[in-house]
This record gives sequence, structure tokens and C-alpha cells, in this order.
Amino acid sequence: MSIAIAKTPAEEVYADLDNLPDGFDDIRKQAANAVAKSGLPNRRVEEWKWTDLRRIVDQAYPPAIGGDVAAEKLDELSALSPFGNIVGSRIVFVNGVFDETRSQLPKNISISMLASADKVGFSLRDGDVIDALNLAYASDGVIINVAKGVKVEKPVELVFLTAPDQPATITTRNVIRLEEGAELTLLETHAGHNEAYVTNCVTEISIADNATLNRVRLQEDGENAIHLSNTAANLGQEANLRDFTFTIGGQTTRNQGFVTFNGENAALNMSGSYMIAGKQHADTTLVINHAVPACESRELYKCVMDENARGVFQGKVIVARDAQKTDGQQSANALLLSEGAEFDAKPELEIYADDVWCGHGATSGDLDKNQLFYLKARGIPENKAKALLIAAFAAAAFDEIENEDVREAFNELAQGWLQRREV
Amino acid sequence: MADLDTIERVKEIEVDKYKYGFETDIESDLAPKGLSEDVIRFISAKKGEPEWMLEWRLDAYRRWLTMEEPSWAKVDYPKVDFDDLYYYAAPKGFDENGPNSLDEVDPELLRTYEKLGISLKEQEILAGVRRQDEPSKLDDQGLNIPKGAVAVDAVFDSVSVVTTFKKELAKAGVIFCPISEALRDHPDLVKKYLGTVVPVSDNFYATLNSAVFSDGSFVYIPPGVRCPMELSTYFRINEKNTGQFERTLIIADKGSYVSYLEGCTAPMRDENQLHAAVVELVLLEDAEIKYSTVQNWYPGNAEGKGGIYNFVTKRADCRGDNSKVSWTQVETGSAVTWKYPSCILRGDNSSGEFYSIAVSNGRQQIDSGTKMIHLGKNTSSRIISKGISAGKSSNTYRGIVSAHRKATGARNFTQCDSLLIGDKCSAHTVPYIEAKTPTAQFEHEATTSKISDEQLFYCKARGINEEEAVALIVNGFARDVIQQLPMEFMAETQRLIGISLEGSVG
Repeated sequence: MSIAIAKTPAEEVYADLDNLPDGFDDIRKQAANAVAKSGLPNRRVEEWKWTDLRRIVDQAYPPAIGGDVAAEKLDELSALSPFGNIVGSRIVFVNGVFDETRSQLPKNISISMLASADKVGFSLRDGDVIDALNLAYASDGVIINVAKGVKVEKPVELVFLTAPDQPATITTRNVIRLEEGAELTLLETHAGHNEAYVTNCVTEISIADNATLNRVRLQEDGENAIHLSNTAANLGQEANLRDFTFTIGGQTTRNQGFVTFNGENAALNMSGSYMIAGKQHADTTLVINHAVPACESRELYKCVMDENARGVFQGKVIVARDAQKTDGQQSANALLLSEGAEFDAKPELEIYADDVWCGHGATSGDLDKNQLFYLKARGIPENKAKALLIAAFAAAAFDEIENEDVREAFNELAQGWLQRREV
Repeated sequence: MADLDTIERVKEIEVDKYKYGFETDIESDLAPKGLSEDVIRFISAKKGEPEWMLEWRLDAYRRWLTMEEPSWAKVDYPKVDFDDLYYYAAPKGFDENGPNSLDEVDPELLRTYEKLGISLKEQEILAGVRRQDEPSKLDDQGLNIPKGAVAVDAVFDSVSVVTTFKKELAKAGVIFCPISEALRDHPDLVKKYLGTVVPVSDNFYATLNSAVFSDGSFVYIPPGVRCPMELSTYFRINEKNTGQFERTLIIADKGSYVSYLEGCTAPMRDENQLHAAVVELVLLEDAEIKYSTVQNWYPGNAEGKGGIYNFVTKRADCRGDNSKVSWTQVETGSAVTWKYPSCILRGDNSSGEFYSIAVSNGRQQIDSGTKMIHLGKNTSSRIISKGISAGKSSNTYRGIVSAHRKATGARNFTQCDSLLIGDKCSAHTVPYIEAKTPTAQFEHEATTSKISDEQLFYCKARGINEEEAVALIVNGFARDVIQQLPMEFMAETQRLIGISLEGSVG
């Protein structure tokens, strides 16, 4: 019994085919039709149970591309990136358009832009609204191809700055391909102004046999932003993906990850951390698909919620019938710092093979009183002791990041967050 | 290599070893086939119910008509044709008064229970002769109850055949009788509590049950009374094409305690039969209920033909402060199980426990778990779930632990472990955790693994054959739960796990 409900202003705008950008016409239409048909998911849709997107996207946010932004504003937003001294090159997008002047392109990697590409071969992920919205409205994005055996020494940074002159949806789509034996470290900074906007960023990753991708994302979007993202990755034999997301900005964040193992003995580490407060809402939803035997997956999420912030973690590990010798471990820990904070978790296992070692753990609670007492007994004032414990909690997730400089930068950001909160 | 060996030798299991699969040849009174307001009036009239009860049922039926069968569980089965069922079946001669003593019960029925290992008659006799046992404290109170005796309410299709030890229990003030009898003798109690834990429109099957429930047990433990013996209900489905819709209501008044056991079996048939029960537990201040189930409905044969659909709503409401409820379940039977015994921890300092062993083999599908809803302050809950899947079965743990904003100091520990035997079965874990207060300490862990080759080798090297070794290891895996079972069920359960897994290796 389905009752037709009136479309929200956002649903109307997203369903209007006149809003579609040029290029990739067929797939865009197909995607926009899918969105028109399904609408935005509400809390009755199982995967969106704790993040009611239909209610969250509370106004029209028409899709937009580019637009003038004051140079000072862009400088200010760019300065939010802590990776300045770590990276060797930088690719900057402003309101979903490649900004050549602010970018320094890396050498020995093939880089092209989605806006000028003629054929990429996208396909629509069934039932995924973020992906459908993205396919329909993606204005630009980077297409990176690291050739066979090339090991890129210095990390490459992708910067997404968002500051549209009115509430709008800014959409980017990136494609990262690593050929056999290639290696790349990719750092991403997402930042934006404090007015309301929606940013939708999808990254398609394919890692061929023996290749390694290290990817770290920092989300510092503005305080009224809705940040939607997808990471869809395929791993070949003995491929390696490390993916870390640090969520500190945005009003509402939904990070989705879909990883499929296509070759044996591949390894995945998908981890992250939230440090959120006020009425911030951060959601991580993962589907890890062990389609072949003998792969390893690790997920570790450390979530700090203060004031009325709400953290959500949904992680599903699927082990296919033939995927024997799978090793999948998942852990989500929440630290609630105040009355009003909330954590919702659904760590899920779906297992069809018997010779596997899979497990998950989830915890939620406030600071350990014994630890606090221990520090205070040693003369450390309460607020300092608390800050120490919170920083240590977050740092345990940062330890999953391979690059030491990045870890250091994140620890500093965590300190800054704590100072702002006057913990 | 023992591992490969084992897997290669995995055979189609013979669930046909189900030993309770016989049928009792007895004439039955049936309600007309199908479901309508008339059928509900028929059931209500058969039970001699008060007018308000009939209205309650009809209201439930009308709501049920507007509801849809839930499809979120990880089970897949041909939909039930609700118009192709008998909603009432009773051995002939059972009218609203029922038999007054065992002597009036059809001997064929008594034989059925004896075959099932529940000797109703013997128990009654034992009650009188077992005095040479050291005198228990109960005797001081003028109660004549032997140690270790269990009062049984035997439910056969839609009616309660007999309830033993009723008089002895009455001396302690305990009411233990079929719910239809309670409706006649204690209507105020029933009216006060029925449907207050599982509301009429709670879910599709609970609403159906509210409309057509036929029998089940009613228990009332007065304030301060520790029920002098274990209470138990034995459910038996016998008649073809019937559904069993039992309703159990247990009220533990202030400071009381009761331990309640439940067992179930059914004949082997090619058709699927529906069992949609509702169990409501009400706990007032300082009360404690221990509820144990051994569910051994016919699981269907190895090809998945036949078997019981077990769609059950069980819920405990810890209304009073310091109350405690403990669910222990051993799920070995049924073709499809959909069951989530839950605890609403409303009273401050109340606590809930859920211990579960779910064994699936053949083509059984189990989707079971619990809900721990923390509402009161300093409430605590503990979940230990052990899922064992073999054959081509599917075994899902689904549960929710939630703490309300005001549930300060809530505490939960959850452990759900799955064990897979063979490479054609599956095991899933779907826990939901909702913490709305920082002082709630929630811990959840889950693992999935298989029986290790070392364990098997160790047993085999000591002359234990593979099948016994598997049963031994599984019993060890489930030990945390087995230990929670009352003595009467412990040995039975260990044996049952062995039987359920027969044919899964070797």
C-alpha cells in the first residue's frame, strides 16, 4: 500500500530534467529519472533509518555550477587545508569547476577533467540516491590514471571549495584508476562557507593487482552545509586500499562507502573519525563485499559527539558463498560528551561461507571515570584531563593513517577542536 | 585436511529423524475453515467469553485486515493463505468447562503427552507419594509439593487439555490456568493486563493472534510469593491445516518470583503450519520472571518441505523498579522462525537478560533476537546469543539495544556469536544500537567462525567420532546459554542440539 506523497521542493528541482548539465545525456537522464521515481529517502527506508535525507534537504538547493567567489574567501577556505607542506601537487575545484590558477598539476600521472572528457563509461548504482543525484548533476571532477608500476612519491591533494551565492547543490565526480603495481597517496580537503548548500562528491576507485592507494579525506564544510559523498572501490588481486575520513565540519554529513573485492589476497582499511558538536549529524554507511576468497578488511571508527550532535555508523560486511578464508573485522566506538548527544550504530554481518573469521564490536559511552580520576590524582586539572582523554580516543583512529605528517596534522586539528569547545 | 574431509562428506541431512513427528488419531471439533468475524464469534462462544473480549477480538480483526505482512526479516517462504486455515481445533468433547481432573481426559491424549516425555498422570501421582524426600520448606506452609515437580499446562491444538497441580498452587495464592479459564474466573485481572505489553495493533501476527487466540497459559503470582514450583506449558499442534495461536499472560506482582518453562512439538507433515503466539510478561516492583523456551516444532524435511512457521511476539514489561526478567530460548525446530523476545526496562534499576541458542539445519530459516529498551534509570541488560547454522539453513540474529534520553546509567553488554558448519549455510548478524544518553555504557561484540580443525582432531584422536565431536564442541560453544537453563531443560537441550545437528558432518 503506497501512498503518493507530495514532492518536496528539493525533489521537484532534482526531478526537473531542464536542470541537467550538458554531456553524458543518456546516463544523466536515466539517473534523474531514478531520483524522480524514488524521491529522497526518508527514515522509513532501512538504509536511511537514522538520517532522514528527505527532511534534511529542507529547501530546493537547485543544482549549480561555478559562479563568482571573492578571492579572499577562496584564500580563507584554501587555508583550511592542513596538507600544504605534505603534498607535491594540488587540484582545486571551486563550486564544482576546475580552478586552474589555484592548482598545480602533478607530473607523470595522467590527469583529465570530467567536464572535458568525452566518454567515461559510468553506470548507475541501483537504489543509491547519492550516486543517482551525482550522475545526473556532476559538473566536473578529476580523472586520474596512474600507469602500471608508477609509484607517485608525493601525495596529490584534491581540494573542493564550495561557496555558491545562494543555496545550491554542487556536484563533483572523480575517477581514480591505479594500474597494476601503481602507488598513490591522495589527500582531499572539503571546505565551504557558512551559508546553506549541498555538496555531493562521488569517487569511483579501481585498484588493479598489486596496486596501492592511500586516501585521506578531511571534511571541513561550512556549518550549514549538507555533505553527501560516495566512495565506490573495486580491488584487484593483492591490491591495497587505505581510506580514512575525518569529519569535523558540515551540518549533516553522509559518507557512503561501497568496496568490492575482485581479486584474492587484497586488503582494505576503511576508517574514520568524527568530532562534532552543536546540532551536527554525521553518518557513515559502508557495504564491504567479500566476493572472492582470502581478503582482509578492517574498519575502525572513533566518533566524538558533544552538545546535541548525533553520530551514525552502519557497516555491512558481506562474505559471499565462495569467499573462504575471509578476515573481516569492524569496530565503531562512540564517545558522548554531553546530555543530548546521540550515537546509533548498526554493524552488520552477512555471511555465506564457513571458513571465515569475522567479527564486529560497537561501544558507546562517556569518558571513563577511572581514567579521569587517575589523571586528576596526578594533579592534572579536570578540563585538561578530559581533553587528553578525548584526544587520545580520536588519535587511536588516526593511527590507521599511514602518512605520519597527516596523522600529525589531524592530531593538531583535534586539539584545535577541543580548544574551540573549551574542553 | 580434516577440514576438507569434513566438508566433502557433508551430506543432505535427514531431519526426518524428528522424533516427535507422530500424529494422534483423535476426533476434533473444528471451526469453519478461513477467517471471518463469524469464526471469531465461534471461537469466543466456544470459550464462553465475556462480551468485552469478543469486542476486543473483533477490533483486532478489523485492524488486522488493514495491515500488511512484514517482509523485513531475512526469511523467504511461500506466503500463508490465511483463508485456508482452521483457526480452532479441539479434541471432541471439550466444551467451555473442560475436564475437571485427569480421569476425564481422553486416554489417547494422555498417551500423546507420555510419548512426548511429559507424563501428566505420573506427575499427579508422584505429587502424593514423593514424601520420603527430605521435607521441603514448602511443607511448612502446608503445601504438598514434591521437590523438583513442575506444574504443566498442556495445550493441544486450540485448547488446554489439563493443568496439573492447580490446587497445590492455589494454596500459595498462585493462579495458573488456561487463559480461557482465567477469562471466566478472573476477568478483572485479565482485562487489566491483557494487551498492555503487546498492544492489539503491535504487528501483523500479534494482531492476528489478538483476534483469534484460542488458548495459552495465564499466571498470576501474588505480592511477595515465590512460586513454589516451576510452571510449564507444553504446546502440541496435532490437527491438519490448523494454526495455533496461543496467548500467554504472566503477571508477577510486587516482590514475587516465578520460573516458567515452555516446550513445543508438532507432527511431521508436508504442509506448512502456522504458529503465531503472543506472550506478555508484566513485572511489578521487585518481581522476577525467568522464562525458558525449548522450541522444537517440526522443522520440515531436508528439502524444506513442511514444517512450522513460528511467528511469535514475546515481550516483558519491567514496570516496577528493581524488577528483573530473563529470557532463555533454545530454538531448534520450525521451518521459519521470526521471534524477538524483548524487554522494556521501564522501572528504575530493572534488568533484562536474553540468552539464546538457535540451531538451524536442513533448510530452516531463523530470524531471531531481542530488543532491550532502556527507559528507566540505572537499567541493565545482557544479551548472549549463539547461532549455529548447518546444512543449507540461514540463521540471523537481529536485535536492538536502545537507551532513552532519561535512561541515565543504562548498561548493556551484547555478545552474539555464530558458528557455521558446512559451506552451504549462512549466518547473519544485524544489531541496532541507539544510545541517546552519554551515561549509557553499551558494548556489543559479535564473531563468526567455524569449528576449528584442531578441536575436531583433538576429539577424534581421543576416540570420539566426528558427529559426537561436533555435538560436544557446539555444546561447549553454547555453554554460556545452556548454563542459564533450568535443570529440567539442560540435559534435554544438550541432547537436542546433538540431534538437530545429526547429518551435518560425516
